[in-house]
Amino acid sequence: MKIYSLKIKSVLLLLAVITFTGCSEDYLDKTEEYTIDSENYFNSEDDYYNALIGVYDILQSTYVNVLLGEIASDNTLSGGESATDVIGFQQVDEMSHTPINDNLDDVWDWNFAGVQRANYILEFQDKTEFEGKQTIIAETRFLRAYFTFELMKWFGPIPIKGDERFVLGDEQTIPRASREEVYTQIESDLQFAIDNLDYTAPETGRATKGAAMALKGKVHLYQEEFDDAANVLTTLIDNGPYALSDFETLFEQEGENNEESVFEVQYTGEEGAGFECLQCSEGNVAVGFQGIRNYSGPLFESGFSFNVPTQEAYDMFADDDIRRDLSILDIEAWAAETGASYGEGYKHTGYFNRKYLPRKNDNMGDANLTQPNNYRAIRYADVLLMAAEALNRGNINDQLAQDYLNEVRERAGLREVENSGDALTEIIFQERRKELVGEGHRFFDLVRTGRAAANIDGFTAGKNEVFPIPLEEIEFSQGNWEQNPGY
Amino acid sequence: MKKFLFSILLLFGGVFSMQAQTITVEGNVTDENGMPLLGVNVLVKGETRGTTTDFDGNFSISGVSEENVLVLSYVGFETKEIPVEGESFLNIVLNSDSAALEEVVVIGYGTQQRKDITGAVSVVSSETIEEMKPIRLEQALQGTAAGVNVTPSSGAPGAGININIRGVASNSVNGPLVLIDGYQGDLGTLNPNDVESISILKDAQAAIYGIAGANGVVLITTKGGKKNMAPTIQYDSYVGMQETSRQLPLLNATEYALLLNESYANNGQEIPYPDVSELGEGTDFQDAVFETAPIINHNLTLSGGSERVTYSVGASHLNQEGIIGGDKSDFQRNTARFNLGIDISDEFKLQANSIYTSIDRRSINENGLGSVLFNALNMAPTFAIDQEDLDGRLGNEIINPLSQIENTFNDYNLNKFNGSFSLEYTPIEELIFTSRIGYNLSNSKGKDFSPIVDYGSGKVFNVPRSTVNQNRINDNSYTYDLFGTYDNTFDEMHHITATAGMTVIRDWGDGLFATGFDVPNNSWEFADISLTTGTNDGINNGSYKYDIRKLSFFGRLQYDYQGKYLVSGMLRRDSSTRFSTENRVGTFPSFTAGWILSEEDFLASSEVISFLKLRGSFGVLGNDEAGGAEFYRSLLDGEATYVLDGNLVNGTAMGRIANPLSGWEESEKTNIGMDLRLWDGQVEIEADIFREDRKDLLVSGIPVSGIHGGGAPGSGSPTINAGTTRNEGLEFAIKYRNYVSDDFNFNLSYNATFLKNEVTAINGVDFIPGGQFGVGQPQPSRFEPGFPMGYFYGYKTDGIFQNQAEVDAHPSQKELGADAAPGDLRYVDLDGDGVITPDDRTNIGDPIPDATMGININVNYKNFDFTAYTYASLGNDMVRNYERSQPNVNRHAYVMDRWRGEGTSTTVPRLTSGATSNRVLSEFYVEDASYARIQNIQLGYTLPETLVSSVGIQSLRFYAAVNNLYTFTDYKGFDPAASTGEPIGGGIDFGFYPVPRIYMAGLNLKF
Repeated sequence: MKIYSLKIKSVLLLLAVITFTGCSEDYLDKTEEYTIDSENYFNSEDDYYNALIGVYDILQSTYVNVLLGEIASDNTLSGGESATDVIGFQQVDEMSHTPINDNLDDVWDWNFAGVQRANYILEFQDKTEFEGKQTIIAETRFLRAYFTFELMKWFGPIPIKGDERFVLGDEQTIPRASREEVYTQIESDLQFAIDNLDYTAPETGRATKGAAMALKGKVHLYQEEFDDAANVLTTLIDNGPYALSDFETLFEQEGENNEESVFEVQYTGEEGAGFECLQCSEGNVAVGFQGIRNYSGPLFESGFSFNVPTQEAYDMFADDDIRRDLSILDIEAWAAETGASYGEGYKHTGYFNRKYLPRKNDNMGDANLTQPNNYRAIRYADVLLMAAEALNRGNINDQLAQDYLNEVRERAGLREVENSGDALTEIIFQERRKELVGEGHRFFDLVRTGRAAANIDGFTAGKNEVFPIPLEEIEFSQGNWEQNPGY
Repeated sequence: MKKFLFSILLLFGGVFSMQAQTITVEGNVTDENGMPLLGVNVLVKGETRGTTTDFDGNFSISGVSEENVLVLSYVGFETKEIPVEGESFLNIVLNSDSAALEEVVVIGYGTQQRKDITGAVSVVSSETIEEMKPIRLEQALQGTAAGVNVTPSSGAPGAGININIRGVASNSVNGPLVLIDGYQGDLGTLNPNDVESISILKDAQAAIYGIAGANGVVLITTKGGKKNMAPTIQYDSYVGMQETSRQLPLLNATEYALLLNESYANNGQEIPYPDVSELGEGTDFQDAVFETAPIINHNLTLSGGSERVTYSVGASHLNQEGIIGGDKSDFQRNTARFNLGIDISDEFKLQANSIYTSIDRRSINENGLGSVLFNALNMAPTFAIDQEDLDGRLGNEIINPLSQIENTFNDYNLNKFNGSFSLEYTPIEELIFTSRIGYNLSNSKGKDFSPIVDYGSGKVFNVPRSTVNQNRINDNSYTYDLFGTYDNTFDEMHHITATAGMTVIRDWGDGLFATGFDVPNNSWEFADISLTTGTNDGINNGSYKYDIRKLSFFGRLQYDYQGKYLVSGMLRRDSSTRFSTENRVGTFPSFTAGWILSEEDFLASSEVISFLKLRGSFGVLGNDEAGGAEFYRSLLDGEATYVLDGNLVNGTAMGRIANPLSGWEESEKTNIGMDLRLWDGQVEIEADIFREDRKDLLVSGIPVSGIHGGGAPGSGSPTINAGTTRNEGLEFAIKYRNYVSDDFNFNLSYNATFLKNEVTAINGVDFIPGGQFGVGQPQPSRFEPGFPMGYFYGYKTDGIFQNQAEVDAHPSQKELGADAAPGDLRYVDLDGDGVITPDDRTNIGDPIPDATMGININVNYKNFDFTAYTYASLGNDMVRNYERSQPNVNRHAYVMDRWRGEGTSTTVPRLTSGATSNRVLSEFYVEDASYARIQNIQLGYTLPETLVSSVGIQSLRFYAAVNNLYTFTDYKGFDPAASTGEPIGGGIDFGFYPVPRIYMAGLNLKF
């Protein structure tokens, strides 16, 4: 019996030892995983800089804004391999798009990702102090303005939350802001950037004072605030370091980040990419997508033949306009001249968007997704034309408007114009189309000037000025967000 | 029986009480085949005296009276009672234990006699494994265990195999919890020959495992030695030849050219082959990629035991080459293991085992757009066997599959140690404490070389710059259990087993990846980062690490009254670091009950019913597995890469969106079952009906509003408790055995599972899309309330337009891509709005079988044995997605039956190189992939003992077998059984690597 109780005792002892060693819940708190997570970051200057890189990163995914924006316009057709090749592009081309469209969803998701990453920094902007923080905050606010303005162009007023990230559930409580609220935030972000940035960036590719001014001018122009637009744009023209460059090389590798570049989205072919994450590519996906199908020949690489210019877009150029053949490639003529071969895709027009065709280079695979062509988001020519438009349409100074316009025309090898008033307006519009064809601006220019229905086949006035909010977003909001009219 | 166990305990406890008696009985014990049995327990009934047989099966027991009865028992054999009746020498034959009721079944933190089990448990024994010759252990579960669905992801050597127990309940992780001798493990790396038995817990009984038990639990017991057994060496080996189980009928060059001409003509284009007379058969690329490949397997085991020690050590080698690419898709597995049991004292027992596994695998691109088979099917037969599509006639994706194989270079190596140490302490007879630690340590390395290659302009597989990717992955886990079991019977009728304890699980590991550029000589021999010469601006390396911990406490009380009425209750409290501190803990109860009717007076004397039990269970199980580590916080592992000053720069960004509110997913399982044995066990029947409701389903990757930034590179959707699913069904298993004579016996078994799967709720979104069909088309599969998980969402078809009048009379199909023409598919206007739009899509099939079943036969005649295992799956659909929608590619021969004019076809649309709406996902692409497969047939011959015993051999058996002999199916593709196993997006066929048919010959030698 004594032995028996000894055993019992030893069992109890064993249990006690176990209870004190094994069962502690502390065990669960001592994991060796990463101790830095999203909520305890921003402890040094480097942390802010690195997070800013994260915001810039999203700019690369705006390739879809450019590609799809151009397809939406009367400049180009969708193209691709067949009628079902990227159906979202096809529908936008035909203006038959509905709230179910993966590519419009990309525009929504990716630009909001930019807003969210910017707000991540702004949410923690007071956490750690260091010299030069204002520059980082100013660039962050420039980028937030850039993405927000894109969303505004595509979808109209969107929900905004100020200097805070959206958290799960906000989609059901934060309504779409008013147009004024969104523009107020954009303008205040850009003004902050103008006040805190220099004309020269600390590194090529980062936002500058000039970029903020140009974008602010554009934002005013979209609201037809011609005085404000003219004001900021002429100040930029007078004080900024920009000039028109040689059009011949403007869209070649050597033309990147040159004196004409006011803001440029940077790409490289140094890193591989795949279809499963197009937004992850460090290359300009739009370039491979609009490359010549099965091309074999000099200068260019092949691609997927999307976004093909129309005959009408080619024909709008005068024969002596040097921009025509540098902007639009006549593939038949090119093949005849160089012996190149190519394939014909869907809606083949015989023309390709030469500005952003893939050039021969040793970019990484999938080579169609990693073309290194930078996107010239805001060119000085655009600034001149915007200034001209603001001065003319705002009845401020047609003479100065002519000067700016003629500067652009002169480079194209065209004669000066001396028109004024509405005639000048019309010429500015035409010039804007020719100068910026293939760059993703046309659709939005038509919409903001009320000329879309007259120029784009299938365009329904009162509906197609903006694109539909993606259906799933309407559903996520559970009635909080209203769909755009007509969709 | 209990008394008997009691006696054994006393015997082992060394308590002998000798009594003076009259005679000494000697005897010899053999099995049915006359093989002497070593270590058989021979006891005097009603007393505690006994002995065991020696090496030759002989025993001697003294002091026995004529009235005594000897009880002979031996693991795996029926216990026999022999009256002494004055015989001084007894020749006793023990029959192998077909009854299986006394069989001890591992049920989690303990064992239970089969007759006492109140949950739904399937057991697969080592005999089944030996008969089926699975290359991977999972294959032994197909068709042998009701309710278990096994789908290979591919027929490639070493490819993964998915197991679902009673259906799929989650959109992420559906595999069962696998416990090898008690610790968390992995079925995929085990050598099937090392396994003694597999128990599959399918209902709330699995609740004792709580965490991750929601998908069912597979318990593996590895082979050990037996006490008092002479050293036995077993050598098993087979060699085999493998060939494809199927080739698809494709067009030959002439047919191809003629049909292409027709297709171009239909689009008003110039015909590409004005003269087809010289084309002939052309190249059969499919035939060229398939080859006959060898497989070889060796297995060696030594086992035995003494009074206090048991041991088993073994080693194995498997080498399998692929039927595509040969050694470019091969699989080698070497294992070594030991299993040791030591009775340190009467109170302490130690068990230790360890398995070392080494795997070497190479693989080719499979099951995707651009896989070798996809290319083999689509490459035009007019190309020469070594010709590239330099002009891009076949589009950007199709390349010569043979060149592709030639340019494929990769290697994967895994080294793994796993095992456990377990200490049992028995302070008093009724109480056992077990302290057990199981571990897994695995290291793998992978290498993947892409040489510079140019398949022609615009081909997406062109590699302009050679790269080599290398990785090192280290995965570890341990499972520590500490529990006590108290087992006692009061007043000879109240039997109680109480278990309480705790489990600690830790999974941790890390991975490291790097890429090198410009491999010297563009050659595999130089493909190592250390030798590469190029530099690159990007981040060419990456890493991750994880550390997940779980802590659980549990208790279980089992009670039976007179062995007739059985009840048990369990309670478990689990914590997991996948959730935030606030939501970390979950408590999960479950109950089971059983009633053995055959113990009641009204059945006790039945001639027909020898055993009948009704049982039921209900329980709630928790699950924290949904892919990914921690759901509640966001790490800084997003991608933040941009180009500044012309160089790539890297910053920091948030990773996957956090969901601080995520918590335990709960699985409510209900099961009602019956076990019935008729005519002394000649017929055994098991039937179960079950239902599982999975609530607060952890939906990983659930779409959320884009405003949260989930679309950013390296970010992603959060995991939210957002859905409910239901699986309900019926399982039935029947086994008939007939021991006709010593020379002839056979058994037949059949099992079937009928399953209905439905998503019952989802929060926040209407559906979750998944899968891929064609190029640039909407995702075909959906997770949506009211439908089976992962059902296919597309258009219903109603034949083919035969003439323009029919087209005109039908709602416009233009919105699907092009105006319809005669010969096009006619889609059904489901919503009746007079136009065919994406709103007309609906459920057009799902990949989940309605029923799965197995029929297995085993016949022994004299020295011959024959087995056949078959498996059938009914009602599973598959999407045909191996056809590239490009005008010039080759096609499946079914297009010979295309529409060519009014009345020529009502099923296959016209051919045209122009735009049509025929390519959208419709019923035309969804096929019934029901099938029945003869998985294994085998004929064996065991040499007569008289012949081999003279050379010291215990037994020697030769056999010939065929795996995957034949598949009965209407499915047009390679393999109706293959699936990626994705809950949403499974059942889509890009040209699955078919399972090989294997002809094998082998031997089993024991000495």
